[in-house]
Amino acid sequence: MKHVVLSTFIAASLAMPAAADTLRIGTATAQTGALAYADAPTMLGMKMAVDDINAAGGIGGKTKIELVEKDVRSDPAQTSIAAQELADDGVSVIVLPGDSDPALAAIGVVGAAEIPAISTVASSPTLPEIGGDYMFSNFPGDNVQAAVSAKWAYDQGYRTAWIVYSPDTQYTTMPLYFADVFTRLGGKMLGQSTNTLGQQDFSAIATTIAAQDPQPDVVMTSAYEPDFPSLLKALRAAGVTSQIIGSDGIDSPTTFSLGEVGEGVVFTTAGFPTPGSALEKFNKEFEARYGKAPDTIYSAVGYDLIKVIEAAVLKAGSTDPKAIRNAMASLENVQGATGTITYAGTNGMPIRQVSLVRVKNGAREFVAQPTPDPALIPEPRME
Amino acid sequence: MDLFLQQTTNALALGGTYALLALGLAVVFSIMGLINFAHGELMTIAGYVLMYCGIAGVPFVVSVPLAICASMVAAVLMERIAFRPVRNGSGATMLITSFAVAMILQVLFQNFISARSQAVLLPAFLSDSFKIGGMVIGVNKIVAIVATVVMLIFLDRFMNHQKTGIAMRAAAEDFAVARLMGIRANTVIAGAFALSGLLAGVAAVLWVSQRASVDPLMGFTPVLKAFIAAILGGLGSLRGAVAGGFTLGFIEVYLAAFLPPELQEFRDPIGLCIVVVLLLFRPNGLVPSSVLKAVKV
Repeated sequence: MKHVVLSTFIAASLAMPAAADTLRIGTATAQTGALAYADAPTMLGMKMAVDDINAAGGIGGKTKIELVEKDVRSDPAQTSIAAQELADDGVSVIVLPGDSDPALAAIGVVGAAEIPAISTVASSPTLPEIGGDYMFSNFPGDNVQAAVSAKWAYDQGYRTAWIVYSPDTQYTTMPLYFADVFTRLGGKMLGQSTNTLGQQDFSAIATTIAAQDPQPDVVMTSAYEPDFPSLLKALRAAGVTSQIIGSDGIDSPTTFSLGEVGEGVVFTTAGFPTPGSALEKFNKEFEARYGKAPDTIYSAVGYDLIKVIEAAVLKAGSTDPKAIRNAMASLENVQGATGTITYAGTNGMPIRQVSLVRVKNGAREFVAQPTPDPALIPEPRME
Repeated sequence: MDLFLQQTTNALALGGTYALLALGLAVVFSIMGLINFAHGELMTIAGYVLMYCGIAGVPFVVSVPLAICASMVAAVLMERIAFRPVRNGSGATMLITSFAVAMILQVLFQNFISARSQAVLLPAFLSDSFKIGGMVIGVNKIVAIVATVVMLIFLDRFMNHQKTGIAMRAAAEDFAVARLMGIRANTVIAGAFALSGLLAGVAAVLWVSQRASVDPLMGFTPVLKAFIAAILGGLGSLRGAVAGGFTLGFIEVYLAAFLPPELQEFRDPIGLCIVVVLLLFRPNGLVPSSVLKAVKV
């Protein structure tokens, strides 16, 4: 007991004075492992935002930001441990990995410690729902992305579709939302296939789809690498000529280096650098700083994450975790690198822009940036 | 019927790749009694060589042999550095050593190359396909099947007609007696690793040409499949490894192709159940090794 009292006292005395002029943000993110594809570029954007804010004197000109970094190796158990360590360390906000499953592993910790947590790029709308008051997301939801891509597909005149999804994670079930919206619009689902995460061989699925007569107009999936390139190559090699629609997980250099096979793929993501946009400006600054343009939208989304925390701290007027949480939940139109971000009126799943991008000549081509019709967005699906 | 034939082609291509992987494990196991779980990392090394060659603009015909050579060299080095010091250790010691090698390599890839997946530039013809009768067959399927056949013929010739190959077979049968006959242990073991590196390299080219990217952890899935195939075929038996690889490939593709949609989610458990059932009837594997102390039932 004496130890507990003593260590609490030490922790309090260490944390409290620091809180006055420093905001400590703990990052329990996946810098290695299967989710590094998302969290590593996100971290680059976060660091850029932290440096920008600190260089300008800190949040509101006084509160400097300090990142306390931990790598959770894409492992849920490790995420829970790291979140606990960060909570014990007295951080004001915790950043969690870019997928719902490891992020959910930390719910118990952040809920009990009453520290707001925000996932880098997890897009499952169930995350804040299951996670409770202290769990926030930072990406357009799967259901919103699917509503945008299904509407686009229908407007293009596509009437039949096939989905390939994996029940292994929340994110890879996005095609189920797509099927829901597409049928409601009047399209017809010809069938569906499931894959396991990390599946190498998609030839059986591809042959099945190719054997449909007629072939579906659209094949939609939220598989990401390494699964997505394998699936795409298998589909094309089997003679499937359908329009392929993907999601933000394939916003990565591999997708743009697939050559002929990748051409024409359309996917939803969190922004597009249209001329004069905030994202175009961000990309230029990113290039000036890191020597190369960002590989994916995730870096800009990481920048946004810090801007959201900055806005919450400004609004709360303190670095107290509870005050930050309440402020964050009421934020409206925070200007980030990808556009504006609103949490007010949501359960923690932000309202953000969704862009449709097409792969053309190995580069991004802007397709559309529609505002999704709220009536079309499916309810979060609990799996 | 066309659909069935086409799925059979898919199964042959996948099974062939699994057979090459399982053979790589079996070659080393038959001689040392070691299941080398770092076998997958040999594939990762070959994959990274392909990636760097792609970036440097090296033509594919050159980068493929380079990648295979890199995997062979890595296998021999692995034996020299990690496995030779524990050669006389227990099976468990060697097993743990192979896990350690795999993890150390993964961390090195993560820290010195990239934690993220890296794109591999591949020639466009690999994504092409052509029609035979009513079937559409991808070039990469043909390549996989041809590569498997060539490797199996090569392996057969090497094991039956080459001095080193015959020595390896002798060592697999009884290492102590083989050494008494004047066969050098180091040569045979290094040869086995080089051979497993060659098989890993060829399998890696086939594997990477499907996924078009490499990441530090990509060796895990193939080595797991190879392990299942090797057990199914009969651990330590080379013919068994081939049989196990093809069987696993056929099980996976046929289930994905012909299982009703509502059962597709359970495809992997069903596949593994079939493997277990096969093992219940043939506990020593499909083609058991004649010399290893197999379980008698």
